[in-house]
Amino acid sequence: MGWILNNSSRILELTLDHLLLSAPAIVATFILALPLALVANAVRPLREVVISGTGLLYAIPSLPLFIVLPLILGTGVRDPLNVVAALTLFGLALMVRSAADALQSVPQEVRLSSTALGHSRLGRFFTVDLPLAGPGLLAGLRVVSVSTISLVSVSAVLGVRSLGSLFTDGFERNIVPSIVAGILCTAVLALVLDLLLVAAGRLLMPWAHRGGRA
Amino acid sequence: MTAECAKTQPADKLKLTVIAGTNKEGKDFMPIDFRQVTKTYDDGTTAVQKFSLHIPSHTATVLLGSSGCGKTTLLRMVNRMVDPTSGSVLIDDEDVARAAPVALRRRIGYVMQNAGLLPHRQVIDNIATVPRLNGVSRSAAKRRAYELMEIVGLDYTLALKYPGQLSGGQQQRVGVARALAADPNILLMDEPFGAVDPLVRIELQRELKRIQTELRKTIIFVTHDVDEALTLGDQIVVLKKGAEVAQVGTPQEIVENPADQFVAQFLGLDSQRRTLSARPRAGGGWFISDARGKPLGVVDQAPIDRAPETG
Amino acid sequence: MNHLLDALELLGDAESWQGSGGFGARAVEHLWYTAVAVAASALIALPLGLYVGHTGKGRYPAVLGSGVVRALPTLGVITLAALFVGIGLTAPMIAFIVLAVPSIIAGAYSGVESVSQVTVDAARAQGMTPWQVLFKVEIPLGLPLILGGLRLATLQVVATGTLAAYVGAGGLGRQLFLGLRTQDYPLMLAASVLVILLAIALDAVFSLSQRAARLRTGP
Repeated sequence: MGWILNNSSRILELTLDHLLLSAPAIVATFILALPLALVANAVRPLREVVISGTGLLYAIPSLPLFIVLPLILGTGVRDPLNVVAALTLFGLALMVRSAADALQSVPQEVRLSSTALGHSRLGRFFTVDLPLAGPGLLAGLRVVSVSTISLVSVSAVLGVRSLGSLFTDGFERNIVPSIVAGILCTAVLALVLDLLLVAAGRLLMPWAHRGGRA
Repeated sequence: MTAECAKTQPADKLKLTVIAGTNKEGKDFMPIDFRQVTKTYDDGTTAVQKFSLHIPSHTATVLLGSSGCGKTTLLRMVNRMVDPTSGSVLIDDEDVARAAPVALRRRIGYVMQNAGLLPHRQVIDNIATVPRLNGVSRSAAKRRAYELMEIVGLDYTLALKYPGQLSGGQQQRVGVARALAADPNILLMDEPFGAVDPLVRIELQRELKRIQTELRKTIIFVTHDVDEALTLGDQIVVLKKGAEVAQVGTPQEIVENPADQFVAQFLGLDSQRRTLSARPRAGGGWFISDARGKPLGVVDQAPIDRAPETG
Repeated sequence: MNHLLDALELLGDAESWQGSGGFGARAVEHLWYTAVAVAASALIALPLGLYVGHTGKGRYPAVLGSGVVRALPTLGVITLAALFVGIGLTAPMIAFIVLAVPSIIAGAYSGVESVSQVTVDAARAQGMTPWQVLFKVEIPLGLPLILGGLRLATLQVVATGTLAAYVGAGGLGRQLFLGLRTQDYPLMLAASVLVILLAIALDAVFSLSQRAARLRTGP
């Protein structure tokens, strides 16, 4: 406990670093998953390709991806952009399928009737499909958020600063509290983000009051 | 749909089956008695209250009632899928509570709605399930299964198909064949034809009727369909909520003489649904026929006022 | 791109595959770790998961467990274990099992739960004992999802296996960290590519076996 109090400012800084790597990845995942899911649903033959393709990303171990990705991005291994990009790919692996399923679960009658009411395609997407797919999208996003936050730490072995640095420091200098603090902060961060997502869901989708987990 | 069904049955094979089902003394077997059974579920709902009934052997008894009246619970008490909270169920004067559930179930046939076939096993293996559980050799069980396919009117070409490849009606036939495979004396049927379309349903009822005249099992058949009950039942038990007996009788007795307003209403005797017409009968009373002119029975008193059916 | 060429050259060089520290030995080691960890986890988790699925008891802790593990940073688990049991293979093994068990439990219980209640009910009504229901109905029909749990667990172990070298064990992570320490990017790259190929190959094996299992559950 003493160690944690003495190092609280450093822990706070690292938590912020952690957040700055994971939050952009979560947002990017959400934004990129939607069009991919739409394409997958709209063009039948593409569905399996897109979904299995992104699913395959999940099979790739994180540390090797952090190392291989710079080849494509042209960044350094320690570049935050590299880390965010890799995390986004992992996020997509989980999110595209949930998004495609969620969007597909919108009842056909609802879609037809809203078209009959005179919605344009784009208007219908934002006023009908997106809100109705909301609960499914939220469930997917919660899974992405938790797993992204836990994945960030791995990049610490490459020297990227995050809560994972508490693990490498703690291991190299034999400080158990450092590692414990790292695990706890990761869990708290994941929990806080999850609660924020649930709260946002309640705010945006007051009709779907059962925060179902995927 | 109906073409694949009707097949005549070699009489000698059937006779064998019946003999196999008779017990050693050669006396009638397997009457079923419900004695004051009550079932209260953990959540406090009482599905069955103090229900008593004698079910004679070799006959088909239909438990007729709307959903939630406890008829399925009653059925499942016979093979101990449900144990009564109080009271007892007797088969051949023996309390089923004293029988091991698994052994009991293997000597009682059970057919359910949606057939409940094992989707990962071919038709022939589905039918052979219980003989195999009883330790009959694979080849003997298969031979028996083929026999049953013939009895229930299933084409042999379906033997190696999976249940998912069959129509609803065919699946139900497989369900019936499976229930008969170990040659049980008792057959429990829980709305077995409830999920198939009306034409196939009538076909299946006719087939069951034919099988029953040949095999003469003790059948308990649960349904909410009045026509089905009238077609299949030697004895019909009309049930109210909580499995309260509204009336017990032959189809004729019930139609001729419904015990009360509830039975009359349930049978649709007072509504347009059955569109009955009555003509004065030469010997007194009225002759009742349905819309197609099929005679249904005779009543002594005037038909009750017709009221529109609700729900 | 030069780095990639260097890495490929390294992978194409027979010499880098030979010896106890070569790619070959390390890949076998990596696979071996994975097999042992997944087998040990399955030994613990399959009975638990099948029990939860069959009886419906303990579902809540099982769900909670897999949720918590998803949030656990693997590096944290592995380093913490290493500080307690020392460097070597024990710490990574503990971490592998901690991470793999919940996925296998989740796969097993969702597999059993996915079997239609009607089918299970019918099997019981035909006179199957609870064990027969489990082995003749629930496991064969739930197999695709049960394998799904094992697949996820295997992928997690392969990925975490790379970190085993960080706490003094072997596996392909050895070359990766060697490259990291010596600023040898091509070496890191070569090791990473191998791990990725290994993971994808294992994933493909599971994918195929799941497909086969799905075919067996009836068309």
